[in-house]
Amino acid sequence: MATRIDPTLLYEIKEYGAVGIEKCFNCGNCTAICPLTSDEYPFPRNMIRRLQIGQRDKLVQHLDPWLCYYCGECSETCPKGAEPGETMMAMRRWLTAQYDWTGLSGKVYKGKGWIIAMLLVAAIVVIGLAALLAGPMVTSQVELNTFAPVHMIHIADLILAAALGIFLLSNLARMYFFVFGKEERQGIPLKIYLTGAWTLVFHTITQNRFSECEDSKRRWTNHLIIVAGYGTMFALIVVFLGWFQTDNIYPIYHPQRWLGYLAAGALIYGGVEAVLGRIRKEHEMHKHSHPSDWLFPILLVLLSASGLTIHFLRYAGLPMATYYAYVAHLVIMMMLYVTVGPMGKWAHLLFRPFAVYFQEVKAKAAQLQRETPAEAVASAAD
Amino acid sequence: MTENPEQENQTTPQSEEEIRIGVYTCYCGGNISDVVSCERVAKQMRDMPNVVISRTDMAMCSDGGQALIENDIKEKGVNRVVVGACAPSLHEKTFRGTVTRAGLNPYLYYHVGLREQDSWVHHSDHYAATEKAVRLMSTGLAKARLLQDLDSILLNAEKHALVIGGGIAGLRSALDIARRGLRVTLIEKSPFLGGRTAQLESVFPVNTAARDTLHPIIEAVMAHPNIDIFTQAEMISAAGYVGDYQVQIQQQSRGVSDDMAEATMEACKQEVPDEFNYGLTTRKVIYHAYPGCYPASPAVDWENYDGEPLVVKGQPTVLYNELKTFDLTVGAIVVATGFNPYEPRQGEYGYGEIPEVVTLPQLIRHLALFGDGKKLEWNGHPVRDVALVHCVGSREIDGIHEPHEDGQVNDYCSRVCCTANLHMAAELREHYPEVNVFNLYEDIRTYGRGHETYYHESLEKMVRFLRFHGDDRPEVVAAPKGDTHPVLVKVRDHLTWGEELEVPVDLVVLAVGFMPRDVGDLVEKLKISRGTDRFLAEVHPKLRPVETAVPGVILAGTAQGPMNIQETVAAASAAAAKVAALLASGEVELEPFVAKIDLEKCDGTGACVEVCEYEDAIALETFTVDGRQVQRAVVTPANCSGCGNCVSACPNRAVDVQGWTLAQYEAMVDAITLDIPELMEVEA
Repeated sequence: MATRIDPTLLYEIKEYGAVGIEKCFNCGNCTAICPLTSDEYPFPRNMIRRLQIGQRDKLVQHLDPWLCYYCGECSETCPKGAEPGETMMAMRRWLTAQYDWTGLSGKVYKGKGWIIAMLLVAAIVVIGLAALLAGPMVTSQVELNTFAPVHMIHIADLILAAALGIFLLSNLARMYFFVFGKEERQGIPLKIYLTGAWTLVFHTITQNRFSECEDSKRRWTNHLIIVAGYGTMFALIVVFLGWFQTDNIYPIYHPQRWLGYLAAGALIYGGVEAVLGRIRKEHEMHKHSHPSDWLFPILLVLLSASGLTIHFLRYAGLPMATYYAYVAHLVIMMMLYVTVGPMGKWAHLLFRPFAVYFQEVKAKAAQLQRETPAEAVASAAD
Repeated sequence: MTENPEQENQTTPQSEEEIRIGVYTCYCGGNISDVVSCERVAKQMRDMPNVVISRTDMAMCSDGGQALIENDIKEKGVNRVVVGACAPSLHEKTFRGTVTRAGLNPYLYYHVGLREQDSWVHHSDHYAATEKAVRLMSTGLAKARLLQDLDSILLNAEKHALVIGGGIAGLRSALDIARRGLRVTLIEKSPFLGGRTAQLESVFPVNTAARDTLHPIIEAVMAHPNIDIFTQAEMISAAGYVGDYQVQIQQQSRGVSDDMAEATMEACKQEVPDEFNYGLTTRKVIYHAYPGCYPASPAVDWENYDGEPLVVKGQPTVLYNELKTFDLTVGAIVVATGFNPYEPRQGEYGYGEIPEVVTLPQLIRHLALFGDGKKLEWNGHPVRDVALVHCVGSREIDGIHEPHEDGQVNDYCSRVCCTANLHMAAELREHYPEVNVFNLYEDIRTYGRGHETYYHESLEKMVRFLRFHGDDRPEVVAAPKGDTHPVLVKVRDHLTWGEELEVPVDLVVLAVGFMPRDVGDLVEKLKISRGTDRFLAEVHPKLRPVETAVPGVILAGTAQGPMNIQETVAAASAAAAKVAALLASGEVELEPFVAKIDLEKCDGTGACVEVCEYEDAIALETFTVDGRQVQRAVVTPANCSGCGNCVSACPNRAVDVQGWTLAQYEAMVDAITLDIPELMEVEA
């Protein structure tokens, strides 16, 4: 059955940040040089070609973009300046938008207006809720837990985490259904999903595939620092908020303090490094930046910095400043999740390890397919 | 030795002269001497009859080598020269010049090809190669003994050229020839000058308007005092030879006088498809090719005019075509008859069956007539998606593609269509950015300077490329009812791993190739030949690329094969240079190797005339011998090719080809069968 060409996709992917893809004349140098490509996942050329002719059905099944870590060798090698690396980046945004059933992702990715609107909505919602629900502002001394009672905040955190989880997991489910066709799904026994689970955990924690990119050790380390800082902070806030948000003043060696400092420091260091990279444009990956590429590290840095500010203002005994900083902190957090959250760049924290996992599941299923008939023949012969 | 050469010599008029031969065996810088023992050969030659001197040299063609020969002629009285060296095509003329400088007739020189015929082909067997060299040189000697003075054939050349075709090639040729001081008669079959170039708009490689290139040259041609232009004119016969062709030109009437032109055109109601717009529009039978065309006065299309009277200013008027025929003597003829764009057959890529399938020349005309640079429309429908298909009517494969009417397929590349097609793709995207352009190609052959930029420009303008294999070309079908687009192009795309793709489009544009014009009558009248591709053929693709095998008939432009404007104009200028070189001196010099009749032996059998394949080369004429009227054969040297057919046919051995006489052949055959090995054994 002939596939119908859709000329609109090429324009669309350019809205997602692909630059120069139209110049590609399909030579395949990008795939030849790529350290991460494989026979089963021959990117970037395959994907670029399908973008040029608009094979949406095929592209939405692709894991390739998640298997690429933008070492940039393809863009360096490309004889036409078609920036295949950036196309892979754009494809990750496009895929995120395809997985996202709310449709917000595509809008935020494609339009700067939508980003600003979402940022405003986040601010208005948080400030409105604060105005509505906040406790009295004690001015004689800093009483954060009176202004924002920790049990209420914890509940809000859990609601937010649940919302994030629902969005993220539902999008992940869509990814799964896109990637595995109906027949394919039926042919995969549960055992294969379970035996591949270790891959998922391993890659979620280590992002090990990233390190397979040549000359990417520094970026990988920086990314690990961000992930470690983020993971720690996420756990502190969502799970241990009662212990973390306190009016008590602890000595410096108390884990509440140094864990917080370490996590915030890691996020600020990693975030600043990422932003500086995009300013310097030395690495291929940093040469073209989509608004979401700026927003994510900047908000991470602001989030950590505002968290630290609350902490220091509280220790300095400045009640009103602390309360305002706290609200600002919440606004920034909300901004992060509504713009680059489960419908945006943040979501890659699940899509990437799951792509590696799905890839393994597919390989094992294919192996099983190959072996099954042989065994069936063998058993029939017995 | 079976016969004494002296015996042959007695038959020649120069037999009383002592034959003194100088023999030179060239090392050719090792090319010959690495295989053949040149010294042995030279030594062997020394003992041969009539040989005065036998030498070797590292390079006989060098100044020093040539000086050896000149000195020997002057000091040793050498009067025949044989050089064993490279192929005659390379240095025969060089050595003819050498002997001429020393005072000998140039045809007293004979060249033996020791390199190509011996050392290069027998490099593994030195002994046998040396033996063969001795044989070949002995053969050369045998001929040299019988060489006679010959004179080149000098013909008066008419300083006047006929240029057939008023397209850009004919115009350029005419102007270049005229500027060299020769007269030119330019004839054009249609009523207007400009040919195919006039039908183009923006042309690659620098996007100039075709007519901006064309009109200045037309104006220069029309203004040049040395050029006579005849439109609606054809050459109806040709006779003669280089320097002296008698041609007959027939010209149709233009049909209307200038003062009545407007009124007559007004009165004319009969319309026919306009070939200038490839049938996209109609025109009257009294017409201009295009606004601003040359000549400016309208002409009657006699082929289509139905003969009905027109009511002009109240007067019923019937137009009459008064054919005017006149003779012309010209020294050379330039054939610049051009090409036709390939017309796809009914149903080829849906052409003629699906109204949304057009050729690239048609689209160019369509855009010129109706393109407003805002919205692209076809048949009144907006065009959103266009497919451009390469190689239509070109690069066809015998056994796979359907042959044309003459049973042949166009297996050649038309060269121009790739860049023309990419130019169109980029232009469409430029002027109609909302239109998606798909480019279906087999190969992109943007070979010329500045051509490849159109490919890159097309890519940058988001033209989508799809690549098919030559034996698996795309298919164009009408879309089923209710489809978003009227036409579907199906292609197995090798940029997408051979997947079957379907391109929904509103317009399919076929980049058609070049077809040779039907100039069969011209080919016959001028005795020129066509290549296997049916275009007119040059005599040598590299060394004589614009000359035909017929002296004085020169090719210019696309009559010879696919060319772009740049190449056409270059070829036309080359043709003009050839014409000028032939005619400028007023004389044409031909080699003397033509048939010669021995009137003593000829008794007028006419066998020679019957076998002769050349027009007016040999004929029977009436002579008075001893008071009797007899028929004798007479050769017109200028028309004779020296093929020797007459020699073989003559029962009386009355004909010989000068410089290659039967006596010479016999002596050579005798020499080559000499019992040389024994001599060689003695030396070894």
